[in-house]
Amino acid sequence: MQRTRLISKHWMLFLLAVALIAAASPAQAANYEVGTCIPSLPKFGSIQLAVNSVPPGSTIVVCPATYFEQVTISRPLTLRGLSSNNQDRPVIAAPPNGLIINVTSITGANVAAQVLVQNVAPPGNVNLTGITVDGSSAEVQGCSVSAELAGIFYASGTSGTINEMTARNQQLPSCGYGIWIENGAGPNQSITVENNSVHDVTWEGIFAISNQTPSTLAATIKGNFVNGKVYNQTKDIEVNGVSGALTGNVVTGGFQGIINDGGPVTISGNAVADISIGVGIAIGDSSTVTSNKISNVYTAFLFGGSGLSPGPTVTGNTTKNTTYVVMYNCVPNVTVKSNTFNDSEFGFDHVPTANSGLGVNAIYNIDTVQTSTCP
Amino acid sequence: MRALTLTLGQKLEERYMSRHLAWFFLAVVMLAVSAPLQALNYEVGGCKTGSSYVSFTTISAAVVGVPAGATIQICPGVYPEQVTITQPLTLKGIGFNNANRAVITINPNGSLAPNVTSSINFVAFYAQVLVQNVNPAGPVNIIGITVDGSGDNAGCSAEMLAGIFYASSTSGTVNEVTARNQVNGGCGWGIWVENGAASSQTITIENSSVHNGGFDGGGIAASSVSPPTLSSTISGNFLSNAGLFGIDDSSSGVIAGNVLTSVAGPGIFAEVDPLTVSANTVADILGIGIETKGANTVVANKLSNVGDSIALFPDVAATIKSNTIKNTFCGIDFSGGSNSGTISGNTLNDSPYGFGNWFGPTIGGNSLYNVDNLQSTSGSCP
Repeated sequence: MQRTRLISKHWMLFLLAVALIAAASPAQAANYEVGTCIPSLPKFGSIQLAVNSVPPGSTIVVCPATYFEQVTISRPLTLRGLSSNNQDRPVIAAPPNGLIINVTSITGANVAAQVLVQNVAPPGNVNLTGITVDGSSAEVQGCSVSAELAGIFYASGTSGTINEMTARNQQLPSCGYGIWIENGAGPNQSITVENNSVHDVTWEGIFAISNQTPSTLAATIKGNFVNGKVYNQTKDIEVNGVSGALTGNVVTGGFQGIINDGGPVTISGNAVADISIGVGIAIGDSSTVTSNKISNVYTAFLFGGSGLSPGPTVTGNTTKNTTYVVMYNCVPNVTVKSNTFNDSEFGFDHVPTANSGLGVNAIYNIDTVQTSTCP
Repeated sequence: MRALTLTLGQKLEERYMSRHLAWFFLAVVMLAVSAPLQALNYEVGGCKTGSSYVSFTTISAAVVGVPAGATIQICPGVYPEQVTITQPLTLKGIGFNNANRAVITINPNGSLAPNVTSSINFVAFYAQVLVQNVNPAGPVNIIGITVDGSGDNAGCSAEMLAGIFYASSTSGTVNEVTARNQVNGGCGWGIWVENGAASSQTITIENSSVHNGGFDGGGIAASSVSPPTLSSTISGNFLSNAGLFGIDDSSSGVIAGNVLTSVAGPGIFAEVDPLTVSANTVADILGIGIETKGANTVVANKLSNVGDSIALFPDVAATIKSNTIKNTFCGIDFSGGSNSGTISGNTLNDSPYGFGNWFGPTIGGNSLYNVDNLQSTSGSCP
């Protein structure tokens, strides 16, 4: 009898647990839909309505279509593009009445972000996957000299992953950004930007910045394909004050390929090409630049920064068909060794005293190995 | 006493030994005389001096003047000459006095007449560096030299221009070379290697820079009879603005780890099988990125900003796996045929058309994002 009561008690507890899980799971794992391509899911008529309404941690799938809206996300969630009926491209485009400036960057710039991630509560990741953000015909209301346009903007205090997105046509004159991530004062944040396609932007393809020392933003920027336009003076990927890694990206066209303005960043395994009048990789303090392939660019490597020891290192890279290989810019305490340089008009320019790349790199077909000296 | 007395046999033996000793000393002397010749270094241009170097003023004089198997060091400078190599050797550019470019250019006072006819397409070529009729058989290696085709404006009706040409029955390695400006009114190739003979040959083209070629030509061609008797390895090269074709390959072998940008397209044309096209980066091409005519393996390549990323001839059994394609007009173009090979593990992002000109069943096992039309039966792809 006692045993029967014990079993019943356990059975009741089990049923209660099942009921609790059943009640909780729709909120935790439920999928929501924007569009009408999956009849079984709860539906929203716009992306903005969905991200405002779903429980934190939800996944919202977005059906193929064009959504003329400006989206602000302020809770942790996943926004994922979906394929349906032989189509696989949900596009977030500028609304007919234009974009509003909806965020002020830690740089002080006023930005009209097409997808803005900001003030996320409760704290958690916002993940974006498989959606196109198109800035075509975007007009910014109240546009002034200080107004910027960004396809995707992760504001200070946010984290998450941007994966397999397309950002294109952010072409506000001289101030279009495909993807912009940042973090100022406050807790450290981690943001991953991976496997995206970014092209036809007027200023920067991918931009990551922290204004704190030490950095409060750990950025992983990997496997992206960025194509800039030289007439747009595009900087394809720029990081400023962040820590992290830029790895395995394919960067072509534009005015500058990869820029680290300063910060503990590893730049490795990238392919940089077709930058006819600019710089392949611009190197600031604390950079580690290794195993990159650079071709058909004007200057493969350009040093900047403080010159303090220990300086940045450039090792194991391959360059072909450049006008200049390394512009030391008279920056001391930099290391350039074990690289292979082939086919350049000039090798090492403005090499600081007692710091030469000669003899520690394999060089072929360079007309003038070393040019101007430093004072 | 006995020791001082020699028998007839002993005398004969002593004479015999003396004779041998004489031969031995003669051999030593001959070796001593000949050894410096064997150990000598050879240079062109005058930057290497001293008793251990034999100097030549032209590359053409050097390649006929050195023993087979020698290495010839080429000093930085401009060499306006047409070079024909007919023995196994290594031609190597070296650095001197802050310069590191030995350039072979068109001789402004020389003939622009063709010097070789391809045994594959029977086109007459003007080859700036021609490797042909190598005797004794052995590899010809070219390292760290620039071949510049500026100045050959004979045009397509006169000839095809090639920076480096390995003719039938030759072998060797082209490494860290620059081939540029082989334009010739549109008909120029940076590097052309071929084998029309029945016996197999192996040629490697690696780590070279090829750019600014002729619009009706291309960057690197490896041509062979069918079935291929040329095994080529084309790896680690960088090609840009190389003309119509980046790499045109009808040999067997591997095309791996090359970076091709800004060619008209196809960037890589795999004309026969079996060829493996792997881990190449192909970008900024209006036409086709990688085109395969046969049952080839196309794996782990990165293609971006390309018109038609991967194109298959109709009804080939190609294996297209684990490629990453971004920002393209058409991801994989089946040209209206079917494919009995494998299409899997590819990732496509950002394309108006995913699988174009495809009349078969739904293709699964790939990851597609931001593709306007996943699968198309119409002639939508360029």
